[in-house]
Amino acid sequence: MDAPAITTEGLTRTFGQLVAVKDVNLRVASGQFFGFLGPNGAGKSTTIKMLTGLLAPSAGRIEILGLDLLQSSVEVKRQIGVVPEGMALFGRLTGAEYLNFVGRMYGLDSQTAARRTAELLEFMQLDDQSKKLVTDYSHGMQKKLALAAAVIHGPRILFLDEPFEGVDAIASGTLKAMLQRMITRGATIFLTSHVLEIVERLCSHVAIIHRGELVAQGSLEELRAGVAAQAAAPPQNSGTVGLAVAPGEKLTLEEIFLRIVGGSRLAEQELSWLG
Amino acid sequence: MAGLSLSAQARTQFAAIARVRWQILFNSLQTMRGRLEMVSRLIVAFWFAGGGLGGAAGLAVASWYFFSHDQGEWLALILWIIFLFWQLFPVVATAFTETFDSSNLLRFPLTYRSYFMVRLVYGSLDPSTALGSLWLSGIWVGITIANKRLLIPTGLALLVFALLNIVLARMIFAWAERWLAQRKTREIMGIVFFLIIISFQFIGPITGRLLGRRHPNVTQFGRIIVPIERALPPGVAASALVNFSRSDAIGGLTSLGVLCVYAIAFLLLLNMRIRAQYRGENLSEAPAAMGRPRGVLGGTKGAIPVRAAWNLPFISGPVAAIFEKETRYLSRSGPMLFTLIMPLVILLIFRVSPSKSGAGNLLGNASNLAFPIGAAYALLMLTNLIYNNFGAEGVGVQFLFVAPVRFREIVRAKNLVHATILALEMLLVWIAASIMYQPPALEYTAATIAAVLFAAPVNMAVGNLLSIYTPKKFDFGTFGRQRAATTTAFASLGVQACVIALGGATFVVGYSLHRLWISTALLLVLAAIAFICYNLVLNRIDRIALNHRETLIAELSKA
Repeated sequence: MDAPAITTEGLTRTFGQLVAVKDVNLRVASGQFFGFLGPNGAGKSTTIKMLTGLLAPSAGRIEILGLDLLQSSVEVKRQIGVVPEGMALFGRLTGAEYLNFVGRMYGLDSQTAARRTAELLEFMQLDDQSKKLVTDYSHGMQKKLALAAAVIHGPRILFLDEPFEGVDAIASGTLKAMLQRMITRGATIFLTSHVLEIVERLCSHVAIIHRGELVAQGSLEELRAGVAAQAAAPPQNSGTVGLAVAPGEKLTLEEIFLRIVGGSRLAEQELSWLG
Repeated sequence: MAGLSLSAQARTQFAAIARVRWQILFNSLQTMRGRLEMVSRLIVAFWFAGGGLGGAAGLAVASWYFFSHDQGEWLALILWIIFLFWQLFPVVATAFTETFDSSNLLRFPLTYRSYFMVRLVYGSLDPSTALGSLWLSGIWVGITIANKRLLIPTGLALLVFALLNIVLARMIFAWAERWLAQRKTREIMGIVFFLIIISFQFIGPITGRLLGRRHPNVTQFGRIIVPIERALPPGVAASALVNFSRSDAIGGLTSLGVLCVYAIAFLLLLNMRIRAQYRGENLSEAPAAMGRPRGVLGGTKGAIPVRAAWNLPFISGPVAAIFEKETRYLSRSGPMLFTLIMPLVILLIFRVSPSKSGAGNLLGNASNLAFPIGAAYALLMLTNLIYNNFGAEGVGVQFLFVAPVRFREIVRAKNLVHATILALEMLLVWIAASIMYQPPALEYTAATIAAVLFAAPVNMAVGNLLSIYTPKKFDFGTFGRQRAATTTAFASLGVQACVIALGGATFVVGYSLHRLWISTALLLVLAAIAFICYNLVLNRIDRIALNHRETLIAELSKA
């Protein structure tokens, strides 16, 4: 049996007194389209940064494709692709030069890098902008370029931090199709997004992080079942509303998410002075 | 036009901005890097205070002398120097000054008057204003001691001159920001700016040469230049002071009026720019149009031609990729590229500068020194790059941490680019020295190469460390933000001082023994030690970079 694509044990990250990520034990199987969700400041970006080597964990272990990230960082990095929060683009290269550069950094020979660059630019509909400096690209175009760079070497795992933010509907469709194709070919995708509809449509498995702790993990069906079981139990917090799940009701990911992270608010918490 | 009185709300906003600036400063002290930066700034502040107070005292004495001996016209020269310093220093010495970006205040409900005042007042809190004001105060004190009757009229004239300088400096900044906002205009501006700076360097030597020869055209040139000088703000201010000192109230008031007209004109031009910003003018790069929609998903053919990346002999793909990227970055930065021709310019300046005797050039019989001087200058010009290796990466620095390449390879590639540039520069300097003076003697050439072989690894080793410990983002879009951290600037000065002292000592030894090969040998020994140190740093750079990746990424990813 294949090693899991991603495994973390006791993954913890503190910033001074603040525990941003606490004892997270993740397990993402190979070939999964995995959604990593959480409210703002829950620890999503901190976790993805640790998984990709952009941030050192304070404690815990990370294994990617069976390799320890700390011990075999270069080998791991060779097999993953990343679109980090800031997109990691070099503004003063042209789109073609940037992709060529990334390809070479991942060890592709110059001919292969050039060929894949051309293909990716065309696929991302950036071929007519290939000679423009990246700094002159719009946000959506930069996002597409960052995604193209993340896949140029054919990674086995793709880490995407908010990949669809600022991307138009047409490009978004193109990207989703590409990601699905990668999954069918055996790649693993680890994605964070605030757009829960996208996660629900694309991801087979989801984990939810809240206040630095992993509060749910599993397939969508498993999460639904968990929420239904919790709703059936006697209420713990009489102030919250809407926890009940009607028999046969199929909760959306948004509803599951809100129930797990406690998104409902008390009426008296509203800002009385506002409007 | 903005007035000087502010409403209660505007005063609250002013106080809030002052408070937030204080909080930012206070919060920056929470990190070691921030504390080091503060120490560096305090040292700079002491320097400035010394220069300001010393200059003020000197100018007080000079002004007293001129006005006691009815030679007030000489004050024009001093006012011109102060004027040029006030306007040029903020541009030249960006490493030692802090610019305040107030454009992001526009989202708050600031009235135009408040916004204008914020731009004017907070923008003026810089060393050039402090020093300029101190020096003008010194002049005022000197004149008043010479003639107490001049207390008020000269005080008024100098105050208007100071306000004019403040407004003009803000105006230049505001318009420069406008022109620097777009990449193409920014690059043109950069080249124009450096041409001006280089042209300034030639004024002294050419004037000296012309005066030395008593050229007949000099008098003619003076006849043209003096009226122009008198019509410009420093000349007008000097006229006002002289007229007041000679009890010519009408002449003095007329000059003061002209000075006010200048100040108002600058204020109007500043107002024009700030009003455009206030109305929501977007100074950022214009985003390109989106790619044409095709309605086709996938199915690529790779039809567009893409040039293959560089292949460099004996160099791995990733190192070649970094080498190519660095070269492309450099070739797209006009100002940076332009600094690289400075060593040749310096040789030319030395060539056209007359010697003390007025004949020949500045180097006189020591023309063999042209090559060492040019080579030293070439290394100095590279320090801005060497000591802030990652400054131009911006958010791209994240990629360097997710790429499957050891950090030492990345740093080595960057150093390789710098070493290549240095080698090319030295070759150019050697050729230029041969053409302008005479081919440098073999022993001088060898000693210079040995000195560079020593100095380059030392600078690179320290530069690599400081690039990680105290990084600073080069912001190509904002005026005055293409600099290293102040701590880095200080450290690099210290390293240069040590390198020059050691290298100089070896030269002195060889020169005094009339055997320059001794210097070469000593320098080669030092070069070997420096190279070992460089390698030791390089071997630890992976660990150091990983330990400091958060600071590095956070600093370079700043908006």
